Amino acid sequence: MLKAENLIPKGRYYIFSGIVIILMIVLISRFCYLQIFKYEQYKHKAEINRIRAVTIDAPRGLILDRNRNILVDNYPTYILTGIPGEMEDRENIFYTLSYCTGIDSINFAKNYKKYYRAKFVPTRLMKDLTIQQISILEEYKLDLPGVNYKKFPERYYSSEINGSHFLGHLKEVDSKIRSQMGNPNKFELGDLIGWTGLEKQYESQLRGMRGVKYLEVDALGREMGEVEGYNNRRAIPGNDLRLTIDSKLQALLEEEMKNYCGTGIVSIPESGEILAYVSKPDYHPNLFVGKMVAGRWNKLLKNQNRPLLDRVTTGLYPPGSTFKIITALALLETNLINPKEEIECTGTYQFGNRTFKCWKEDGHGYVNFQKGIAQSCNIYFYQMIQKISFSRWSNICFNFGFGEITGIDVAYEKSGLIPTENYMNNKYGKWGWSRGNLLNLALGQGDILVTPIQMVQFINQVVTHGNAGRLHLAERKTQKKVIKNILSKNNWEILEKSLEATVKNNQGTGRNADPHINGLIIGGKTGTAENPHGNPHAWFIGYGKKGDSTITSVILIENGGHGGEIAAPIFRKVFSYYFSPKSQHLVLNNP
Amino acid sequence: MMISQVNNTFYKRPMIVIFASMVLTSIGLTSLFSISPHHSSDVMSSSFLKQLIFLGPAIIGLILMVFIPRYLIHKYIYIIYAIVLCGLVLPYFSQNVAGTNRWIDLGFIGFQPSEFAKWVIVICLARYLSDHKLKMRNLSSFIIPFIIIIIPALIVLKQPDLGTALVMLIPLLPMLYWAGAKSYHLFLLIAPFFSILTAFHPLPFSIWAILMILIILLEKPSLIVGLIVYFTNLFLGLLAPVFWNSLKEYQQKRILTLFNPELDPLGAAYQIIQSQTAIGSGGIFGKGIGEGTQTHLKFLPVQESDFILSVIGEEMGFVCIALIILIFTWLILTIVKLSYSSKDRFSGLVLIGIASLFLSHVFVNSAMTIGIIPVKGLPLPFISAGGSFLISCFMMVGIVMNVGVDSHD
Repeated sequence: MLKAENLIPKGRYYIFSGIVIILMIVLISRFCYLQIFKYEQYKHKAEINRIRAVTIDAPRGLILDRNRNILVDNYPTYILTGIPGEMEDRENIFYTLSYCTGIDSINFAKNYKKYYRAKFVPTRLMKDLTIQQISILEEYKLDLPGVNYKKFPERYYSSEINGSHFLGHLKEVDSKIRSQMGNPNKFELGDLIGWTGLEKQYESQLRGMRGVKYLEVDALGREMGEVEGYNNRRAIPGNDLRLTIDSKLQALLEEEMKNYCGTGIVSIPESGEILAYVSKPDYHPNLFVGKMVAGRWNKLLKNQNRPLLDRVTTGLYPPGSTFKIITALALLETNLINPKEEIECTGTYQFGNRTFKCWKEDGHGYVNFQKGIAQSCNIYFYQMIQKISFSRWSNICFNFGFGEITGIDVAYEKSGLIPTENYMNNKYGKWGWSRGNLLNLALGQGDILVTPIQMVQFINQVVTHGNAGRLHLAERKTQKKVIKNILSKNNWEILEKSLEATVKNNQGTGRNADPHINGLIIGGKTGTAENPHGNPHAWFIGYGKKGDSTITSVILIENGGHGGEIAAPIFRKVFSYYFSPKSQHLVLNNP
Repeated sequence: MMISQVNNTFYKRPMIVIFASMVLTSIGLTSLFSISPHHSSDVMSSSFLKQLIFLGPAIIGLILMVFIPRYLIHKYIYIIYAIVLCGLVLPYFSQNVAGTNRWIDLGFIGFQPSEFAKWVIVICLARYLSDHKLKMRNLSSFIIPFIIIIIPALIVLKQPDLGTALVMLIPLLPMLYWAGAKSYHLFLLIAPFFSILTAFHPLPFSIWAILMILIILLEKPSLIVGLIVYFTNLFLGLLAPVFWNSLKEYQQKRILTLFNPELDPLGAAYQIIQSQTAIGSGGIFGKGIGEGTQTHLKFLPVQESDFILSVIGEEMGFVCIALIILIFTWLILTIVKLSYSSKDRFSGLVLIGIASLFLSHVFVNSAMTIGIIPVKGLPLPFISAGGSFLISCFMMVGIVMNVGVDSHD
């Protein structure tokens, strides 16, 4: 049966051999194309295929008080990231993650959508995981392709104080914020950035520098070790920020004011250091840390007492009678009055066809300059204000920093409002207002709006005779903010005596502010600012001097009633604590 | 006397075939050694060691095939064919491995009958075509060869193993051609496949339709036959979408991403992209054995079997790839030449069939790793890991040495 002859035409043999050769040439040339002509391109591709850059988040700098107590700390948490391109069965991965961590898988899916940036950029899936959750995840690592975790330092507020308004909080960088940044590559989605307060103001100092580690990984995303020859960069922690805040004093003031809406600030006038900075109501800054921020945030937003508002720098209030000091300064500056000169206060004052009243309906009787301030007699100031021009009054206000921001290192400060003739003309028309309005302004009523921090600067300038330091919360060299040639030394003393009489005199409106400590001189001024929102705002601004040490304080209680009755006692407690013989105070180096 | 006779006949064998296969096997073992874990207990289960162990039975198989008298093969091939068909059906009754019915579990080792079916079919076809002194003038004489080849192919396709099924069909064409079939008839045989393939886009389908008219006109059949051939093909083309839907999703995906692998870099095209990256980054001289980053970081899928060429390309470079392809070309051309010069028709057909089996494996496997045809799950002869296939390849070499006595010696 093997006899059948093999008769293959030569042509067919050649054709078949030709086909073999052609197919092999096709293969060879393709290999040649890939390995010789496209070598560089594929070499590069292979490099990025095996190397993964892992970012290491740098901890932010700590925030310390003037005694180096830690106010804002970091604590390590874990965040979970996923590389979208490597997570093939996302549903299943989220399910496994949910199983391991006990967190609903919807949250992973939500985060994935929120933080997704590109197919091979690690996308955050969850934050604030504990080491326990991570260790369970590690066991299921093989079922979680593309999923990684890394350490992520979160803010932690360890001290007894809230300080919510000056410390500020961090915000996660989302795509909108990121696109607004000058250099978007500096931030990854989910990074934390200082959003308010000092965290914002000192962002560049507090922010550390992210490190990069180049790891060799296999196709399952398992790390095989570091790669040599690449620029591995360690994470550089941010610089610590030391504040001028005295956390004990801050805690005391927060406690004293806990039932009110308002502000309390304590500062050192010479250097401008802020010792306490309270805006009430406030909240504990730890509320902004962690996973469920949105709910708490909304609760704060909806609170009608507006705890998110920083009343110290952005609250605008009529200054009330505390502004009589401005009028007094204007009078003294121009030497237009004789401080001994007395006028009679009967409780009412007729100006044109309008009747103005003193707060004391029976009147103060005969009132000189000192009594006018100490007992805050309206009638005295109604009369005296008429000796000066509107523009002089406005200029004095501007000289003492009203109507513009103080430049304190807290973001978003407001400048308030000091009416000028132009302003009045614009608002009421040229004939729509009269000097009668100026009478109101003399009492700190009407169109004037000031922020409590401006009042701090004001009282500091008064007590330093126009030589106060620029207000600041972060430790630094003193910057002076000098007001030249306001009053003669003699006139400053007259003013101070009057302010001290306000407290010392048993008729003085500020008598409740005196802690009665030997050698401690207290001076101040009450204010009871009428406003359309109910009871008047209670003000007390003042200073205390003992030996070399001088501090000032501004207390404002919204709708608190009389300044002397509600604000002054808080002031007293601050000074009683600060100047008690037991207290020791650190003087910051100001080289 | 006996020994000298054996010696004498052995001397006449084309030794170059066995030499080529040993070189290729060594290259394969080298690359398998490179990707095997070099430490701890994993060594025993490494594909390198397995391959080395299988080399024993492979060489026994080769010697067996060399010395089995040719007439015995010729005599019993129909029975062997029947046994192989049963063997192909057997895996359906054993356990399902990795979603396929490809393996017969022999307890200690898995065994793939389909690997042996490839050349059994070829020999069976050779016997039929040589026995029946077919005039090959009639299209009807294609029917039985077609049946011989389509039955095992369909069983394998159902396993499912598309690659092996296609490879089983391929030798039919050159063997019919060798047996003297008219080119026009071969055209009629492959025309339906073209009709189906081109049907997915109007432009190639139109070109194909015009080409068909030209070829049919050149052959000048009767009007009715010509029209039937033409419209049957068009009809098949229109049925193509139905055929398409009958494919498994992964098969559809493989074909689709062939045209644009970047579309889905981590889906079906992942393998192609990773394989191309591995090969391209190897350059002329490669990264060195054991230095392939694509390979060792497991970016390459099924690297020890289907994608072994990517490992070689990455670690040993273009030089080694070119060497492998040259050796294969040499081997195949030698078998074709043996086939052309063999004295009897049966041997000639067996040799051309085996040559086309080698050619199709080499071409499909290489083309797949460099992304010019879809991923097809076909191993590279002598080089890819896989016991059954290694034994099968060495047995084919044995058959070549058996029937292909070099007449020029």
